[in-house]
Amino acid sequence: MEFVNPAILFGAGLAAIPVVLHLIMRQQPKLLEFPALRFLQSRQQSNRRRMKLRHWILLALRVLAICLLAMALARPSIRAAGMLGDSEAPTAAALIFDTSPRMAYRTENKTRLEVAQDISRWLLPRLPAESSIAVIDANPGDPVFQIDQSTALQRIDRLDTSGAGRPIVELLEGALRLLKESTLVRKEVYIFTDLSQPAWQVDSPDRLQKQLAELKGIGVYVIDVGVTDPKNLSLDELQLSGQMLARNSPLRVATALNSEGMAGKFLVELSLIDAAGQPEKRGEETVEIAPGESKSIDFPLITGLTEGTHQGTVRFVGEDSLAIDNTRYFTVQVKPPWKVLVAAGAPVEDRAENFTQALAPTEFRRNGQARYTFDVIPFAELAKRNIEDYAAICLLDPPALEDATWQRLGDFARAGGGVGIFLGPAATLQGMNTPAAQELLPGELDHQASNPDGVVSMSTRDDQHAMLAKFRSRRGQVPWEEFPIYRWWQFKNLHDGVAVALPMVNDRPAVLERPFGKGRVVTMTTPVSELSDVSDNNRWNQLWGIGSWPFFTLTNEMMLYLVGSTEGQLNYAAGQPAVLHIDPNRRFSTVLVSTPRGESLRSSPNQLNDVQVTATGSPGNYRVRAGGDTDGVNLGFSANLSSEASRLNRVNPDRLTEVFGDLPFRLAKNKDEIDRNVSLDRVGRELFPLLIALVAILLAVEHLLANRFYREPAPSAAPAGAAAARS
Amino acid sequence: MLSAEEYLKPEVVREIARLDLRAQFIVKGFLQGMHSSPFQGFSVEFSEHRKYSAGDDPHDIDWLVYAKTDKYYVKKFEAETNITGYLVMDLSRSMGYTYRQNLTKFDYGICLAAALCYLMVHQQDPVGLITFDEKIRNCLPPRSKRTQLGNILSLLTKLRPTGKTEIAKSIIQVAAMLRHRSLVMIFSDLLADPEPVLQALRRLRHRGHDVILFHILDEAEVKFPFDGVVEFEEPESQERMKVDADGFKSDYIAEVNRFRETYRRECFQSGIDYVPIDTSMRFDRALTGYLLSRRSRC
Repeated sequence: MEFVNPAILFGAGLAAIPVVLHLIMRQQPKLLEFPALRFLQSRQQSNRRRMKLRHWILLALRVLAICLLAMALARPSIRAAGMLGDSEAPTAAALIFDTSPRMAYRTENKTRLEVAQDISRWLLPRLPAESSIAVIDANPGDPVFQIDQSTALQRIDRLDTSGAGRPIVELLEGALRLLKESTLVRKEVYIFTDLSQPAWQVDSPDRLQKQLAELKGIGVYVIDVGVTDPKNLSLDELQLSGQMLARNSPLRVATALNSEGMAGKFLVELSLIDAAGQPEKRGEETVEIAPGESKSIDFPLITGLTEGTHQGTVRFVGEDSLAIDNTRYFTVQVKPPWKVLVAAGAPVEDRAENFTQALAPTEFRRNGQARYTFDVIPFAELAKRNIEDYAAICLLDPPALEDATWQRLGDFARAGGGVGIFLGPAATLQGMNTPAAQELLPGELDHQASNPDGVVSMSTRDDQHAMLAKFRSRRGQVPWEEFPIYRWWQFKNLHDGVAVALPMVNDRPAVLERPFGKGRVVTMTTPVSELSDVSDNNRWNQLWGIGSWPFFTLTNEMMLYLVGSTEGQLNYAAGQPAVLHIDPNRRFSTVLVSTPRGESLRSSPNQLNDVQVTATGSPGNYRVRAGGDTDGVNLGFSANLSSEASRLNRVNPDRLTEVFGDLPFRLAKNKDEIDRNVSLDRVGRELFPLLIALVAILLAVEHLLANRFYREPAPSAAPAGAAAARS
Repeated sequence: MLSAEEYLKPEVVREIARLDLRAQFIVKGFLQGMHSSPFQGFSVEFSEHRKYSAGDDPHDIDWLVYAKTDKYYVKKFEAETNITGYLVMDLSRSMGYTYRQNLTKFDYGICLAAALCYLMVHQQDPVGLITFDEKIRNCLPPRSKRTQLGNILSLLTKLRPTGKTEIAKSIIQVAAMLRHRSLVMIFSDLLADPEPVLQALRRLRHRGHDVILFHILDEAEVKFPFDGVVEFEEPESQERMKVDADGFKSDYIAEVNRFRETYRRECFQSGIDYVPIDTSMRFDRALTGYLLSRRSRC
């Protein structure tokens, strides 16, 4: 049994009042002369017994009436299957709407969200009067009950799909927290969903099931507004060759066209947005696809990008039922080549040859497409060289350096630069284990390790580091074993904050990273500057060689990482906060952010001169401007739906059972089914009417008995003419 | 203007100060009512006739009566029609009680006695008066002269109910006192143990007297109109008792009825006329009781 107002049960204590009144407030008797006292005296004993019994009966009735009244006002209710329920009891209802982009799927001229809105508008007036109603969607913020039904209807009318969807389970947990606060006994949750798999993703439903179990008797109704056989074409997330490009670097854009239930030939276009904001087609591909297929699209390289921010779109030409996943957006920034200082041992150029060629081949340098420009110097010049203008400094097989040099390198990294240290035979324990060197190195050098059999090589099986992003698509297929490592440096202990970016197959670190202030230090434990004529016995590794694309790729990624190109994220998931870095030398009090919907928002850079934009729910290209067209900054970023956001494949009904566990829920597809389900569930009876009726009966019985006990007996018929009987 | 029958109501009679007038009006009211009563045609004149029986002289047949009733009646000898009556009045303190009526039990009894006296004297019946409380206090020998009415009324007006009750003893005294067969009309509330009283009454009856027992109780003593918690005090013994009047009513009334029923039954068995009265009743009820008793002797 549940009580709406359990505190009123204490009112049952008022039942003590008749008892107290009886004990305390005894009536003071009036004194009367009465000659016929003998008639009272003769009946005193029996009268006393009978009166006591009557008093007890009446007292019991009065006490019981008060107790029942208190209980009735406490509004108890019980639930029992088969009982006719009081379907008019107010309900705390939460209406949860999936407002993910998938709900924009249109069929029969209505989106899924519009269908959900129609059903909810029909449902709302059917909720009992004085019900509390909450309307919940994917927008951030804690859910609240609306003031009244009309406010709830307005809220429903304003619902719209958002690029930043939230899983249904997360919305449901918020709704349950709200319903728990309500004092209404009956609680119901209505979930309007297309039953697509991404909406019902949950790692562990235990917390949800626990919350549901705490709300005994809650009714959960899943309203399926999806289509059983969706047909949709969608574009996958874009693969860009880079977000930060050096001047004249080509831009590679790739994606995939996915088909759910559609077949045919479809045209996909790549466009860049010109200075006037108009799309300029830079590539197109025709794709023939069958239902359920996914076809990769690799656009021709985009060349000739000038310095600055470039934005573009990839879109599928045509129409389908879900338009929001037909277009993808991208932003890249083209910068001047990064300046890199390379210090090597003698012969300096020869030792740096492989390294600099891997990063900026001669052909690229000639065409102006090289990402980097290099200054190669001997170690002896490092102490005097002006290093502030470089993006990164690489030490190829450094010997012991002066403390001041290490300190200069440390200051450089701290200010945001990248330092790459490629250890080799020139390193010594004494030289590298000095305090100054240890400031940058990942740990104390212990010894040179070797494996002359050549079975040790690098391993990208754990490719989570940003430097290894390019290897993820080829996981398990990178032939590192063809490029063995014979010797490497091993460390005693690693300093705090040091991470192994790339291990070897024997789990020894090959590449380590150490964050350093605003910059970073990357250390490789085997050299990249061996001369080609080194004997096999003295060789440390075979990283360079014909077909050595893995190490070429690694070197490029390491360098991009060192110069900070991977930090400059310009492409985000919809809903993810975007952070743009403005040159520290360019300060603005406010910047203007233009959204894909045409809105203009103002924002202020923080102390680091970064601009954070949180309103990224709409997929599209965003612009960030400040300081005017001529002397200002013009940056941008793009927000895209995740690939999952438009996956329409439906969950298996068993999945719902996994989510809700043993707790019952009802699935409905239309208004009739909703009606039936809700009517079935609204069992449980509030006992207030029954108890009040009992109280009325008790009071009536008490009244009747009191009257009976104290009624005036019929006067005795004086036998007039008694003498007539005698005669 | 009040009709004669209005004087049968105690509240009306109370307005008459003089007892002789009270008596007169009661009787007149009674007689007025007789015309429309079941006793129509049965007037006091008929107390002077008896039915014709074999052996009576036909010359004594009252042909006027025959014309009225189609029955044969002969006139009684005067000697046959007279009865000596004694009005026996209880003077105990309990008789002076009333709760909310216009007349106390004593006043009611006196009015009744006065009316009966008036009636008897009017019929030339000798009537006397005996008063008692613990014992006989006063005694007026029976006379049939009209002045006897004044004597009796004069004594009655001076009486006050103040003493304790010894009904049985007093009745036995009365029985011993009376030499000739008489009509003894006792006016009392009988608030004493019934058995001694009944024995005394039987003794009186055994001596050949006709007895009419006017059992006068106050209206409150019959109906018990009290409520709430009341402490009652018996005026003669000063005994007190606290009761919840509402809860006691039915028991009390049952007890009173049982008391009255005892007297009715015992009196019936003893040939005593028992007339239970309460002070809210009209006087004709008591007077009718007298009248029926009178008729039975004819």
